Amino acid sequence: MQRAIEEAGIPTIIIAALPPVVKQTGSPRAAAPRVPMGANAGEPHNIKMQTAIVRDTLKLLETIQTPGTIVPLPYEYLAKV
Amino acid sequence: MNLTTTIGMQSEIYTPIIPKSVFTQMTKALKDCKIGLATAAGVHMKVQTPFGKVGDWTFREIPFDVDPNELMVTHGGYDNGDVNKDVNCMFPYQRLNELKAEGFIKDVAPIHLTFMGGGGLQDKFKEYTGPEVAKIFKSENVDAVILTAG
Repeated sequence: MQRAIEEAGIPTIIIAALPPVVKQTGSPRAAAPRVPMGANAGEPHNIKMQTAIVRDTLKLLETIQTPGTIVPLPYEYLAKV
Repeated sequence: MNLTTTIGMQSEIYTPIIPKSVFTQMTKALKDCKIGLATAAGVHMKVQTPFGKVGDWTFREIPFDVDPNELMVTHGGYDNGDVNKDVNCMFPYQRLNELKAEGFIKDVAPIHLTFMGGGGLQDKFKEYTGPEVAKIFKSENVDAVILTAG
């Protein structure tokens, strides 16, 4: 999906819970906070964390220049299953 | 006959085949950008047809200002506990609206796109869902897209 949108001429970035997967699929830009599959953008109702993750991801749109770059983000949320 | 010429040397190392890169440069500063959101988390409005739990290649259009209570998730591939508490965990559209109000970004796409990432026909995604989603974002003049649930 990311590839199709990027090919149409729109820059994209994905918030990846699983960096090895986006690496293998050749994603152009990825941000990787330490979050589980069920909460890619952060803890439920933790507006501060979610906003920080979204804000940092948007900033990376400007700073990533090489396709295939995956940048870890310093936020961690462990889901209680 | 001893086939080992150098101890520890491997003649075959498996490496993944990574597809050719695709990259579109950002042309504007963030504060002048209209941002769209797309997710494969199976988010949809309660009034819309739910996704099939596996193998669904269709997509849904979500207005940027929809009430979070009107959204729900149909996805068989991950624990829905957190996203059922707060859809913004996987689909942070309200955070984008707040960042727009703050002036960090210029605008938010009027329609966001959601689809279902659990399995599915790769060809259908490549030939139908992908281009259709890209077309809609392009028609909204979106400058960049954030994706979640890869």
